[in-house]
Amino acid sequence: MTALAVIIVLAPLAGPAAALAGVRARPAAFVQAAGAAAALGCSVAMLASLNSGRPLQGWDGFLYVDALSGFFLLTVAGVTLLAALGSVTYIAAQEDSGELTGFQVKLYFTFFGLFAALMLASLEAGNLGLLFVLIEASTLASAALVGLEGRARSLEAAWKYVIISSLGVTIALAGTLFLFYSASALHLGSNLALTWPYLLAHAPALVPQSLRLAFLLAVVGYGTKVGLAPMHTWLPDAHAEAPSPASAMLSAALLNTGMYAIIRFLAIAQARLGSTYPRAVLLSFGFASIVIGALFMVSRRVSSGGLGGRPPRGQSNFKRLFAYSSVEHMGIIAVALGFGGTLGLYGALLQVLNHALAKAVLFLASGDVSLRYKTREAGQVSGLLAAVPVTGGALLLATFAVLGSPPFGVFLSELTIVRAGFARGSPVFPLLLLALLGVAFFAFARTITAMVTGAPPQPAPASPYRDRGAVALTAAPLALGLAALLILGLWIPAGLDTAIMHSAAVIG
Amino acid sequence: MQYLSNSSTAGVLLDLSGAVILLLAFACLASKLFNRYVVYYGAQSVVLAFAAGVSAAAFHSAELWILAALTLAVKGIAIPLAARRILVARLALKRDAAMSTGLSTSLVAGGALTAFAYLVTRPALLPHGSAAAAVVPLSTAVILLGALAMVVRRHTVAQLIGWLIVENGVFLGAITLVATFPFIVEAGIFLDIVAGVLIMIVFVSGLTRQLAQASAAELRELRG
Repeated sequence: MTALAVIIVLAPLAGPAAALAGVRARPAAFVQAAGAAAALGCSVAMLASLNSGRPLQGWDGFLYVDALSGFFLLTVAGVTLLAALGSVTYIAAQEDSGELTGFQVKLYFTFFGLFAALMLASLEAGNLGLLFVLIEASTLASAALVGLEGRARSLEAAWKYVIISSLGVTIALAGTLFLFYSASALHLGSNLALTWPYLLAHAPALVPQSLRLAFLLAVVGYGTKVGLAPMHTWLPDAHAEAPSPASAMLSAALLNTGMYAIIRFLAIAQARLGSTYPRAVLLSFGFASIVIGALFMVSRRVSSGGLGGRPPRGQSNFKRLFAYSSVEHMGIIAVALGFGGTLGLYGALLQVLNHALAKAVLFLASGDVSLRYKTREAGQVSGLLAAVPVTGGALLLATFAVLGSPPFGVFLSELTIVRAGFARGSPVFPLLLLALLGVAFFAFARTITAMVTGAPPQPAPASPYRDRGAVALTAAPLALGLAALLILGLWIPAGLDTAIMHSAAVIG
Repeated sequence: MQYLSNSSTAGVLLDLSGAVILLLAFACLASKLFNRYVVYYGAQSVVLAFAAGVSAAAFHSAELWILAALTLAVKGIAIPLAARRILVARLALKRDAAMSTGLSTSLVAGGALTAFAYLVTRPALLPHGSAAAAVVPLSTAVILLGALAMVVRRHTVAQLIGWLIVENGVFLGAITLVATFPFIVEAGIFLDIVAGVLIMIVFVSGLTRQLAQASAAELRELRG
């Protein structure tokens, strides 16, 4: 078990090792994908053994893996694999076209692997202080990815990201301090005492006033990483400016890692404060995020303002559109946690996995689109289905998947969340949620259908890839992600179901 | 875990250091020169290292002595030196004109935030009469002042200093709760700060180079 946990963290470092050894983009990406596949395989094995056994605990409490960590490990490792597969063609094409220098390619794989390893490690950390250290380190690693292209706009996005996220995570550290403060009656001395299981087991001895403050600071702090409104301002810029596979990692893996930290604090807070206060906090941040996400998608002002003034009206950067959809979906997850109950928690966790898969496919498809059309503006893209049927089709399917159409997984999880809302009593919140989901549906689908349909540009955009094999490889992660989404919409494997039920029991 | 009482020598010294650190945060907020930001931050870190030393002596903790030395070397000397050499000198930064409020407004806001910090933390604190009960409100105030500096200043270097002040505030809170923070975590936090500063310096230099024209225009506009 411990060996599995170690391999999960170390396997993604294969990519950096290859890149530092000096290989070119394609082989480095294959090594990266192999490492990610190993991490995914190990996390599946880990989840299977967690389903039947006890949580893994070791190293003085620094290592702690229970069903909840196992579930998030699976999600993050899966996304890493998809993004690493996407990197194979995306980064190689950028290297061939000369847009990225050899040094930048080396940087990309170094920080990509480091980023993945740090996120996976933070999911295995039992110690709250260590969790902060790892999450802050993953911020720094991913900031390098955001600023990779080195243009003024991407540097500005990277700056905004690193400064806002670092401040946010530091606020979460202050929250961690107040959690220790609330535990002063426990005479915390050893390292073991600062761990999730210990604090959860001794929650009744915590001091409620400072625990309340600690929970709020943790939600605000880690919420900055999750992209909960109003701390989401870094998110659209960073997602739009990062290379597309890195955007997929940000949206589908990083945000979930932040959510994991919030869930841990939620479990402790609920055990001492009861459910009213923590749920109210999560519901307010959650609905704020959904409203902000939906409104920005509607107003189409997702244009990349950035430096040098606004682009013409009516234009919108599709990667920013996806980013606002991430804000909305993180809000939905927070709302589901706020609804609570087994149904709400089940829906929240299922939504984490489904959103991660759908958003990874969307960002990877958008990478192919921006390579071919040489633009990130939705208004300048048309006729995708005719020009690039595979990517266009994947984009369309993933769009409907992320918006919650059956038969994809997101439909199932959002249905569960709405049901949890009704089960809670007042119909106001679930109805509001449904209305906002409807608004987001039309706003998002309107932009994407315009991109997918219509006449392709003349002459047809040239293929950025070296050969037909690369074109087929571009489709691989899209097909994998969509297949997983479809399966999750029709049937939840028994092992996954057990893992989610166990995780929900951990949260309480 | 043992507590320092606020009337013991160590408790008094910690309280005093906390107050000086808060004053230096105010000084930074009240300043308009990049050089001064760096100097005040360096001085604040030196006082913080002193506080860590006091705490180390009181708790007889070798790990805390290492932390105090690290604080002095990294935050008190290395980061200010690097910021001055690589950022302030090379980018020829002098007066910080990119502020969204006047100095007096931000000072008043800083005072309000300090009062707020006391309001929020005082009733929640345990046990009364401990050094921590005196220092934690101070450290909360430092955190808020650093965040305020980041909000009212638009220049990247000023925001970087603001973040470092926030870190100092958190660290001040942490050393009053020494026994709870394992050394490896503290060391990790240090590593994060160093890596963060390095990566931020890269971004700031890159941005400044890319925006040479824009910042020149800004400087012309604000002369006199």
